[in-house]
Amino acid sequence: MSRTAVMEERRANLSLRGLHKRYGSLHVLDGIHLDVGHQEIITVLGPSGCGKTTLLRIVNGLIPYDEGEVVFRSERVAAPRPEMAMVFQHFGLFPWKRLYQNIGYGLRIQGRPPEEIDRLVRRYIGLVGLDGFENHYPSELSGGMQQRAGLARALATQAAVLLLDEPFGAVDALTRELLQEELLRIIDVEPKSMIFITHSIDEALLVGDRVVVMSPRPGRIRFELETGFGRGREIEAIRASDRFQAMRHYLWEALRHPDSDPGPVPDGVSLRMEVKP
Amino acid sequence: MTTETKPLAEAKEQKAAPMLASLREPRVYVRAVSLFGVLGAWEALGWTGIIKPSTFSYPSVIASAFLSLLFSGEMMKAAYQSSQILGAGLAIAIPLGIALGMFMGRSRTFEYAVDTFVYALYATPVVALAFPIAMVLGVDFAGKTTIVVFFAIMPVIINVYHGVRNVDPMLLEVTRSFCSSEWQRWRDLIFPSIVPYLVAGLGMASGRALVGMVVAEFLMSISGLGALSQDYIGNLEMDKGLAPVVFLMIVGILLTKLVDFFESRFASWRARNER
Ligand SMILES: Nc1ncnc2c1ncn2[C@@H]1O[C@H](COP(=O)(O)OP(=O)(O)OP(=O)(O)O)[C@@H](O)[C@H]1O
Ligand SMILES: [Mg+2]
Repeated sequence: MSRTAVMEERRANLSLRGLHKRYGSLHVLDGIHLDVGHQEIITVLGPSGCGKTTLLRIVNGLIPYDEGEVVFRSERVAAPRPEMAMVFQHFGLFPWKRLYQNIGYGLRIQGRPPEEIDRLVRRYIGLVGLDGFENHYPSELSGGMQQRAGLARALATQAAVLLLDEPFGAVDALTRELLQEELLRIIDVEPKSMIFITHSIDEALLVGDRVVVMSPRPGRIRFELETGFGRGREIEAIRASDRFQAMRHYLWEALRHPDSDPGPVPDGVSLRMEVKP
Repeated sequence: MTTETKPLAEAKEQKAAPMLASLREPRVYVRAVSLFGVLGAWEALGWTGIIKPSTFSYPSVIASAFLSLLFSGEMMKAAYQSSQILGAGLAIAIPLGIALGMFMGRSRTFEYAVDTFVYALYATPVVALAFPIAMVLGVDFAGKTTIVVFFAIMPVIINVYHGVRNVDPMLLEVTRSFCSSEWQRWRDLIFPSIVPYLVAGLGMASGRALVGMVVAEFLMSISGLGALSQDYIGNLEMDKGLAPVVFLMIVGILLTKLVDFFESRFASWRARNER
């Protein structure tokens, strides 16, 4: 793909422009600028409490903000819209609905025909590895299984933009890798834009086109890295690459020293520093 | 709810002889011993003449009075009269209480408009309202039904209101995120969340409705089980006076069981959790 084609593809279809959010005297988000290109995957790393969930809720149109704006396909986002689907950090399953109904929830809200709902629900139950649990209530599932159900519910709506709040935080390491692979395969077939929050440096690099690193109190974007792994990724090949190792080391050092400049970037990695006004 | 885990052997035994094995559970035998102990002591006091049939009566005498009222048809006639007030009262109090509780829980404006009255009425002993109600609505069906409504409606309103208020804010956000309409939000989230509150409210409401019914029958025009009891007690026939009380007790227990049954039907997901 030529450089211009890449630029064209990444033409922002979701823009956060100078977002500020305060809870009383707490300045949670301080001037967040972020452009999410068409079918681009942004992964967000940052310490607990730096405002990642708040950021996603604002993008989803769930809570108001104090300054700036969120623009999706040239429209200002003021309320939730069906083109975006959220995977909640707290799963957000309905305790009185069986797994099947929980995963079909978004589709049912959208009034899709029952055959279509059935087809999509079965497909995504399979993709997240929950076959055979259709009739279980959430309380009968493990935390990791509930989290996968939340992921399947969002995927099933086939929204153009996915907002994922630590979607693999409660699954074991092996399942996590399988789900990362699964997610990469899904987006190879059904490309989407994503804002993907994670606490895992490896995951941020494996899944993201761009890794955004945030700093806390007030929440700001410190810098962004382009991973440059493209589509059709092979997790094992990426892991083995020098580029991955170099970026991993760089991110690790940057997160360990939140107050100091992360220093020179590894060869071939492009870095964008946030310009502080 | 407590769940006791039983050793495997004991559980097997229980399958083989459920009746016998259940006698070994404290839940069963402690209750049985306590019940028969108290009734037996009361009976003994009657036989020794410490309690006289004309002042307080005792179990065997009440039981035979109960049967004689049952077979003479008096009990059923009175129960039929009572059930009309009770039924009409509950039929008004339950839907009205649910609607008021829901609107109070979901609309701030409505809540502020009515909550002063609701809490004032909640704090008022309803018995004291019997006379004003009688002045306005008369001492017959309308007046008596209204008393039952006032007794029964409060726990329904308050519980439904709290149920709506305690809907999980995170799930509320989920419904918003998926662009749910208000009606869909009620169907998927609010109704299911208020079921346990509503059931508790209905349990209390049915108990209070029985009290309201008897109060109405004592204080207003003579009818039903309340009047039956009062008439005999006035004649110092304590055994026949207490028989309708026993009848009401049984009805109260049955109503509670009915509410429990509905709860287990509607909240199967919770029943499974606790198993
Ligand atoms: N509704 C609220 N009212 C007041 N303060 C809030 C509210 N929601 C979040 N905050 C505060 O905003 C800050 C950011 O919270 P947020 O949930 O966005 O953090 P996070 O980056 O998602 O953290 P984590 O990684 O632990 O999930 C926290 O200090 C939190 O206390
Ligand atoms: Mg969070």
